[in-house]
Amino acid sequence: MKKILLILSAALISVPGAADDNATMMPHHAGGDMAHGEMNHDHSAQHEHAINDANNSAMMSAPALTKTDEISAALANGGAPVVVDVLGVVCDFCAVAMNKIFGKRDEVSALYVDLNKKTLSLVVHKGASLSDQDIEILAKKAGYRIAAIRRDAAAMGG
Amino acid sequence: MTPSALRICAAALGIFLSASVVARPVSYTGGWTLIQTANRASTSGLLHYSVSHNFSVGMRHEWQRDDDVTLTVIQPTWLAKRWFGHNYQANVYLTGGLGTATDRSAANLGSDTTSFIGVMTDWETRTLFVSYEARFLEQGKLGNHSMHAARFGWAPYTGDTGELHTWLMLEVDHRKHFDNKTAVTPLLRFFKGAALFEAGYNITDSSPVINFTYRF
Repeated sequence: MKKILLILSAALISVPGAADDNATMMPHHAGGDMAHGEMNHDHSAQHEHAINDANNSAMMSAPALTKTDEISAALANGGAPVVVDVLGVVCDFCAVAMNKIFGKRDEVSALYVDLNKKTLSLVVHKGASLSDQDIEILAKKAGYRIAAIRRDAAAMGG
Repeated sequence: MTPSALRICAAALGIFLSASVVARPVSYTGGWTLIQTANRASTSGLLHYSVSHNFSVGMRHEWQRDDDVTLTVIQPTWLAKRWFGHNYQANVYLTGGLGTATDRSAANLGSDTTSFIGVMTDWETRTLFVSYEARFLEQGKLGNHSMHAARFGWAPYTGDTGELHTWLMLEVDHRKHFDNKTAVTPLLRFFKGAALFEAGYNITDSSPVINFTYRF
């Protein structure tokens, strides 16, 4: 028994980065399609334009909100659309995890995990807010990582 | 621990450390998972609770049919590393167990403390799946066992959220204490929502494989 514990301890200690798994969770520029205005980076004007151009171009082809009956009804009630590009979404267990975690939040009036688009479509209740940081934390609780977040017109594919 | 057991542990840990890549023994924070397996060696049930996105604690009950020994153990599992990609996910899990093993055979050797360590790794896309797992089990006077298994899977189509997902899989397992040390099992995996069901047949040992997982 002691030997087993010793081997296990040695393995845990020697794994680079294992202890801080998912600690650096949100690569805001991953995929190149995070709305630039959502970042707090200090860019020069020229750089900003270049990034904005790239983001605008990327957003043109970025997946839009997936409309289910529940989502359409939530939008009709004045809810705000949010599309989250999620990394590592490959199976229904991923969808179950995000449905359970995000579905518990009072701010969320409707949601759908689209495996084909690899997105989480959310509608936030009228007057409520769900920050990028909140979404990041919730995705982490579900076991996933976010590549980009689009809101409002950008979320609708505009 | 015997030298051969050490070699198996070293091999398992070697694979772990080299970050090559099974299933998802850790769920979302606050999630419960029920995992039932039945293969040529054993029938088992594991109910675990995910304390966080990378750590679960569960209770396992296992019947090793060949020896007619049952185990009841507490099993923690740690998601040591997850790689995220737009089209893939890969994971390395470390697991262990501590509890009691009881001899149910006519020999009636009684009970002893049992423990195990294991590593599970997987790489998965919407249509391809590769996994490896290894476990070394120490049961005191009831003997030690080791196993390792690799699995390859292919999905003939990509189902969307909530649809029925179907996988064709092939598993190769190695159990040193069996007459047929290495065995091959083709199996079908059906996956829908929170439920996963697998049915296969071990063509080496002529025995069925039935696995079921449910998340809630």
